[in-house]
Amino acid sequence: MSVDCERYYVELRRINKSFGTFQASRDVNLRIQRGRLVALLGASGSGKTTILRMIAGLETPDSGEILIDGKVVNDVPGSERGVGFVFQNYALFRYMTVYDNIAFGLRVKKKSKEYIDDRVHELLKLIGCAGLEKRYPSQLSGGQRQRVAFARALAPSPQLLLLDEPFAAIDAKIRLELRAWLREMITNLQITSIFVTHDQDEAIEVADEIIVTNGGGVEQVGTPRELYSHPETPYVARFIGSSTSVKEYWRFRFFKSLGDQTSAVVRPEYVKVFRKDENKKFAKSAEEGIVDDVIFRGDNLEIRVRIHDVVLSATRSINDPVVEVGEKVDVFVYRFLVVDGEKIILLDNSSLREESVVI
Amino acid sequence: MNIRRNEGAIKWTLITLCAIFLAVFLILPLIYIVATSLRAGFQTYWKSITDEYAIKAAILTLEATAWAVVINTAFGVCAAWTLTKFQFRGKKTISTFIDLPVTVSPIIAGLIYVLTFGRQSFLFPILDRLGWQIIFAVPGIVLATVFVTFPFISREIIPALTAQGTDEEEAAAQMGASMFTIFRKVTFPHIKWALLYGVVLCAARAMGEFGAVSVLSGHLRGKTNTLPLYIELLYQGYDFTGAFAASSVLVIMSIVILALRVWLEKKGVKDLDVRK
Repeated sequence: MSVDCERYYVELRRINKSFGTFQASRDVNLRIQRGRLVALLGASGSGKTTILRMIAGLETPDSGEILIDGKVVNDVPGSERGVGFVFQNYALFRYMTVYDNIAFGLRVKKKSKEYIDDRVHELLKLIGCAGLEKRYPSQLSGGQRQRVAFARALAPSPQLLLLDEPFAAIDAKIRLELRAWLREMITNLQITSIFVTHDQDEAIEVADEIIVTNGGGVEQVGTPRELYSHPETPYVARFIGSSTSVKEYWRFRFFKSLGDQTSAVVRPEYVKVFRKDENKKFAKSAEEGIVDDVIFRGDNLEIRVRIHDVVLSATRSINDPVVEVGEKVDVFVYRFLVVDGEKIILLDNSSLREESVVI
Repeated sequence: MNIRRNEGAIKWTLITLCAIFLAVFLILPLIYIVATSLRAGFQTYWKSITDEYAIKAAILTLEATAWAVVINTAFGVCAAWTLTKFQFRGKKTISTFIDLPVTVSPIIAGLIYVLTFGRQSFLFPILDRLGWQIIFAVPGIVLATVFVTFPFISREIIPALTAQGTDEEEAAAQMGASMFTIFRKVTFPHIKWALLYGVVLCAARAMGEFGAVSVLSGHLRGKTNTLPLYIELLYQGYDFTGAFAASSVLVIMSIVILALRVWLEKKGVKDLDVRK
């Protein structure tokens, strides 16, 4: 038990929270390890922000316990939980300079003038905004604002950093840059961090671990790779990646039905499309389909192919031979994620085993 | 489009109408006040405005105005803060009641206080024992002035606070700042200009108040006569020079307030531009 307390920095036990008739959290149980960078991922209204705000002390749970560093903090004010919070849209103090924004938390804690001055300059350097201390938030770019919000949250040296949709207010190009920056920053500081996002690419790229929320509850917790390859619930199977639902998956060759009530989900990564004249690995087990649409995605092509009355998505490199709409092609499906009630079963193409035996 | 073609004609008609309206209803009377007050010569004018009772009336007016501004600032800030930062039942009702004084005739406001604090009130014995005289005394005048200027400041601040939202306060609270610190450092800068503007409006209205004050004052010369009441008194006594001289003092005070307002608006807009 004591080992657990040491390992898990944040723990939520059977948390419930309602706003009027809307239940935002439904029996939430969570454990987050020290030093981890964790994403709370879910659609809007799935309860992810509520969880974050309860950890920060901005909301109070109706029932259940919140533990930080092994201590129940339900009755501890947010400001004494050792938590730094980066708000969505940053909530920078518009009438204060960058310097005063970062210094605010330290002044509240009655730190000495010299300490504050050193700390603010140290943070300004860390976020690459040295020289901007006299500016007002309105005179900063979106990226700079986010960095300042980050510095303001870090100023009182919190043990836990919480970020609410940290990239939502930034345009797409800078967002990618900032993601990498934030990840590097948090890794270097080794501060336990939780961020909320509705963008799965963001969660997968930035986080060590992802908590998928749905309807106020936790669907699955795992590393990005685990969520991708071993989704545990139908919601996660459909939510992660760009999935297509297939009702009668047993009509595909080399796939057996796992029961009458089942259906399946397939991702573009599991589907391969070949031109008839291409050399291919799975020549014998491929089936014929017709190209429905070809969509240029910049770095690759999405091929939408009709087979057994469903349209599946696959990707092809832009260096591969061109396929045309209406062309007959060979399609090979590696795997289906079969939905069996609330469970997910991974069903691989049975010829994969046979072919490997042949080789 | 039609509007575009006729733009010039419509524009100049409207401008002319506006100018005529302003001239007839505002500028002409103002000139007339000054002219009449100076008709008997500057000596008489100066004597009228330095009259002992005139000075006392002016001082009482300023005193009542100061009280109204202070009380309504305190109340207005609290009310606006409560109405914009918290969610609670009866919020709409409170918001509606704040506006009541502008819809109620000032004379009724005066009568309300006469009934509440006068001889027939159940409160009177208590006040009498404490030696507090409210009606027909300075406190009554202050009360009446506060009443009629009640919503001016809160109504100016509420839109500013609503536009700002609550996220900055939330951020400050999360870092452990006290309510007072949050107000002083985070909220106040947002409402500073709206507040000053409200103060100016409140002061302007307070200085001119006649109806409610008239009921509560008792018209004791040199004691409970404010400037507007004093002007009426002189006017009723056929002392036109005196009445217009006193009026000109009130007009000058209004012009000072107006100038302040223009300056505030200019300064406020500039400040907001930088820190939006």
